[in-house]
Amino acid sequence: MSNRKFTPYVLVLPAWVWLALFFVVPIGGMLSLSLTTGNVVTGFQQTFEVGNYAAAVSTYWEQILRSLLYGACATLVCIALGYPMAYWIAFRGGAHKSTYLLLILLPFFVSFVLRTISWRFFLSDNGVVLGPLKDLGLLPEGFAVLNSAPAVVLGLAYNFLPFMVLPIYAVLERMDPYLVEAAHDLYADRVQAFVRVILPVSLPGVFAGVLMTFIPTSADYVNASVLGGTHNTMIGNVIQTQYLVNNNYPIAASITFVLMGLLLVGIFSYARALGTERVMEVHA
Amino acid sequence: MAPTSTTQPEAPAAGTVPAAGPAISLDGVVKSFRTGSETVRAVDGVDLEIERGEFFSLLGPSGCGKTTTMRMIAGFEDPTEGVVRLDGRDVTGVAANHRDVNMVFQSYALFPHMSVADNVAFGLRRKRVPKAEITRRVGRMLDLVELGHRAKHRPSQLSGGQQQRVALARALVNEPSALLLDEPLGALDLKLRQSMQVELKRIQREVGITFVYVTHDQGEALTMSDRIAVMNNGVVEQLGAPAEIYERPATRFVADFIGTSNLVRGVVRTNAGGLWKVEVADGATALVAELPGSVTTGAHIHLTVRPEKVRIGTEQPEGEASRVPGTVTETVYMGAATHYQVDIGGGEEVTVYQQNASGSTLVAERGERVWLSWPPEHSYALPS
Amino acid sequence: MNNRPRPHMDSALLRGLTRARRSPLALPGLTRRRTLQAGGVTAAALALSACGVGGQQRDPAADENFWADKERTGSLRWANWPLYMDSERTQIQQFTEATGIEVDYKEDVHEAASFFGQIQPKLANGDDIGYDLMVLTNGFELAKLIELGYLTQLDHSRLPAFTEYAGEIYKNNSYDPGNKYTVPYASGITGIAYNPEFVDREITSLQDLWDPAFEGKVGMFADPQEIAVFGLLANGAVPADSTREDWEAAADKLREQRDSGVVRAYYEQDYIQPLTTGDLWMTMAWSGDIYQQNAEAGTDLKFVIPDEGATLWTDNLMIPYTTQAPVDAIELMNFLYEPEIATGLTEYIGYISPVPHAQEVMAEWSEAEGEGERAEALRAMAESALVFPEEGDYQKLHNYVALPPDQQGEFSSLFQAVTQS
Repeated sequence: MSNRKFTPYVLVLPAWVWLALFFVVPIGGMLSLSLTTGNVVTGFQQTFEVGNYAAAVSTYWEQILRSLLYGACATLVCIALGYPMAYWIAFRGGAHKSTYLLLILLPFFVSFVLRTISWRFFLSDNGVVLGPLKDLGLLPEGFAVLNSAPAVVLGLAYNFLPFMVLPIYAVLERMDPYLVEAAHDLYADRVQAFVRVILPVSLPGVFAGVLMTFIPTSADYVNASVLGGTHNTMIGNVIQTQYLVNNNYPIAASITFVLMGLLLVGIFSYARALGTERVMEVHA
Repeated sequence: MAPTSTTQPEAPAAGTVPAAGPAISLDGVVKSFRTGSETVRAVDGVDLEIERGEFFSLLGPSGCGKTTTMRMIAGFEDPTEGVVRLDGRDVTGVAANHRDVNMVFQSYALFPHMSVADNVAFGLRRKRVPKAEITRRVGRMLDLVELGHRAKHRPSQLSGGQQQRVALARALVNEPSALLLDEPLGALDLKLRQSMQVELKRIQREVGITFVYVTHDQGEALTMSDRIAVMNNGVVEQLGAPAEIYERPATRFVADFIGTSNLVRGVVRTNAGGLWKVEVADGATALVAELPGSVTTGAHIHLTVRPEKVRIGTEQPEGEASRVPGTVTETVYMGAATHYQVDIGGGEEVTVYQQNASGSTLVAERGERVWLSWPPEHSYALPS
Repeated sequence: MNNRPRPHMDSALLRGLTRARRSPLALPGLTRRRTLQAGGVTAAALALSACGVGGQQRDPAADENFWADKERTGSLRWANWPLYMDSERTQIQQFTEATGIEVDYKEDVHEAASFFGQIQPKLANGDDIGYDLMVLTNGFELAKLIELGYLTQLDHSRLPAFTEYAGEIYKNNSYDPGNKYTVPYASGITGIAYNPEFVDREITSLQDLWDPAFEGKVGMFADPQEIAVFGLLANGAVPADSTREDWEAAADKLREQRDSGVVRAYYEQDYIQPLTTGDLWMTMAWSGDIYQQNAEAGTDLKFVIPDEGATLWTDNLMIPYTTQAPVDAIELMNFLYEPEIATGLTEYIGYISPVPHAQEVMAEWSEAEGEGERAEALRAMAESALVFPEEGDYQKLHNYVALPPDQQGEFSSLFQAVTQS
């Protein structure tokens, strides 16, 4: 059966074609675009203009750094909220685990943008949250959350929370429950069992969750445009504007690659810091 | 079911505080679980006294309540009724981390993110034992389980047997008043299991700590234990030394569960010269030395006799013995012995193990008429 | 302008979330648009990476005798913004009845820039873009289309209704002198809207947008062309005659406004909801939005054309040079200028009609209708200065700054530096 030898290759072929068509080709196209000069009217000439990158970084370094900062803050919020949720579902969910997971995923059945817009109603200056607090005199009349950095970070965290909960849940769920008993058996109280055993064992899930929230939140533009104010522009908004409003494709492509590069560097140093073993465990 | 211990527990090792009374005692312990609308009594009234330094096994099929019983000793489950005492102290309701017992889990439950040494040191660190002492005790314990050279490895880098020994070391290093082992060898292959049985026994002798051992493997229990409690349906069917349980099963369940046993239906007839005559099969006579308390003449009983106690021959045997004729239906050559299946009539079959002491010649071929005989002291009557 | 909502968009979202709504299109509108916006980036990127070229200027000389040999085909394809005609497509039905020409009407224009990005590569190749008629706002994209020679020059002998009924101000626009390539479809005013619930004085001036009393409560538009006009007017500059120095001064003026904390955020299209809830007290706004919001939600939002002036923008009908049915398309263009047709269209969309006569017709309809909801609505609309601005209003209205494509990038960047910080 000589064709058996080829079976694995035949099976991975669609994946490779997919990758080539929808990843390699566009990335290559974008790369070449980032090194062109011109405009839509005169056309874009392949001039290998590296200056696009310098221009992108020098003009938009503030938005780039802000995006990474907001992404990091949103990721931390996601950990703080998502870990307890995943923990509770995995260990206390009982027979209703899938129901709770569905509830976590439920917002995903609604359009991303619409979900974000709904936060405007919640966070409105006189809305359902702030209104009553102001009526009770607990907050000053002029207090606002919407159109600020916290609003953007909260929006990001809200929108990407499931990406944190699910991988942590997956690790906790398949964790040997006897590990916790073993910790108690070896005189650990609940706090120690969590800090010494559950948390470290679930770190690969946290690691995956961080990747799955930090990357998309850093590159997001919807939250900043819907919930942001005058000084909360993220790099995604800039890219969107450069593409769609200005048709400045070379700059847009350059910023995209700068962002991609920064994220990759970040991910690899993060992986290095956590130890490659951890990363492998995630993929195992 | 009074405990009838035959083996003296060994003297406690230096370091353990000798105290009066049993190491562990269970008093009328019941554990019921609710599953849906039903309440299941997993443990249904267990009384046990486990002596200091004893190797004590809870033996039974899965679902018999042995693991639940052990988990109540460890503190992972609270009894629905009854009292658990450790060293005479009532620990019912006391959390696992406040009990001076340690457990070896069936899955080992080694902490995957820690080295072998850190795994073993875990309990000592929680007890805030001084660093130097931790290092010393961990080293000594790893030497005891012959894993000193693996101290820095992760559990995932060890073989199953090595992981098993780490789990053992991790529990033993705390010098608990009792060590609880939940099917610890279940995941190992046969050869490794056998050598670990020997190893466990050696370690237990060296440290002198009370071992409570949960297993469904009767061979394992018989080999290692000082005493065995055979459990079924949440109750202890029989408690005793391995030989006693094997030789004198107290119930049909025990007879059936421990080793291979022939169970032959019969009717008690007369008492002649201190021996009871029991009519079995198609009128053949078997002898037993004693009857269960409630049984008298005319009662239907079950006779038990171990296959290796039965002699097989073509001649009718002489002397004070049960003598039953039959026809060979199957012979299986096993190397050290030959197994015979003999039809004794009345729908009964008896298994016979014959040692091949003098070569491999068959005593009888299939279809041949034979006589079976066994001494009365190796046969017991159990109420039907 | 790039993100200008079509009629009903924003008010639609708000109403959809606050109370029952007539049009089933309302709630998904915004979402769909946004989704497509994101899709637009990908599509544009793919299109560009696939062919690797930008625009190529076409030689318009070839158009000299364009109309000579053209004949009716009996059908045409029309790309318009969503909700820019009622769901029965009344005006199209009337057109088909009158001419027998079938119209394939597609609400495919969601955003000028991405629509441009979508059709541009095909136009550069001379391929059919799938539309014979399309509607785009006067702005940078329209300027590019004209500059690149991608639009068919109109044969005015085929546009008698336009010649007769189009208001003077809608003829001979600065962005298309002599209506060489386009005729208006509808117009709107970018002015100031405010919520009198929170603003207790009359707003009359652009300077009110800089008033520290409204700290954190003022909304501005994110679109560079929109915000530029307000910056220029606030500085007393005339947009049409503005120079680079004026632009820089305008950007500085807007930056000062931003850094003083007056501006809450720069909005693309979704300022109505915050204006009604009080998150915004005052904002740049489009006349049609405010008109519809007040008409349909019963709110009392005020819309003013500030003393310094405001912006008049126009959505225009145009025929791509790749059209397969130019005669049918220009017939439809002309048809839409028939006063009865223009009135019907205005009644639904609520934006300014290029046919001033529509006001009269609407008043007549209202009379004919007598009593009832529709009569009331028609009367209110016929009398509204937002739908039919008065002569004096027009004096204060300016077009966007018209720029050749090679200056557009620089201009945009100047103002995006303010809005995207």
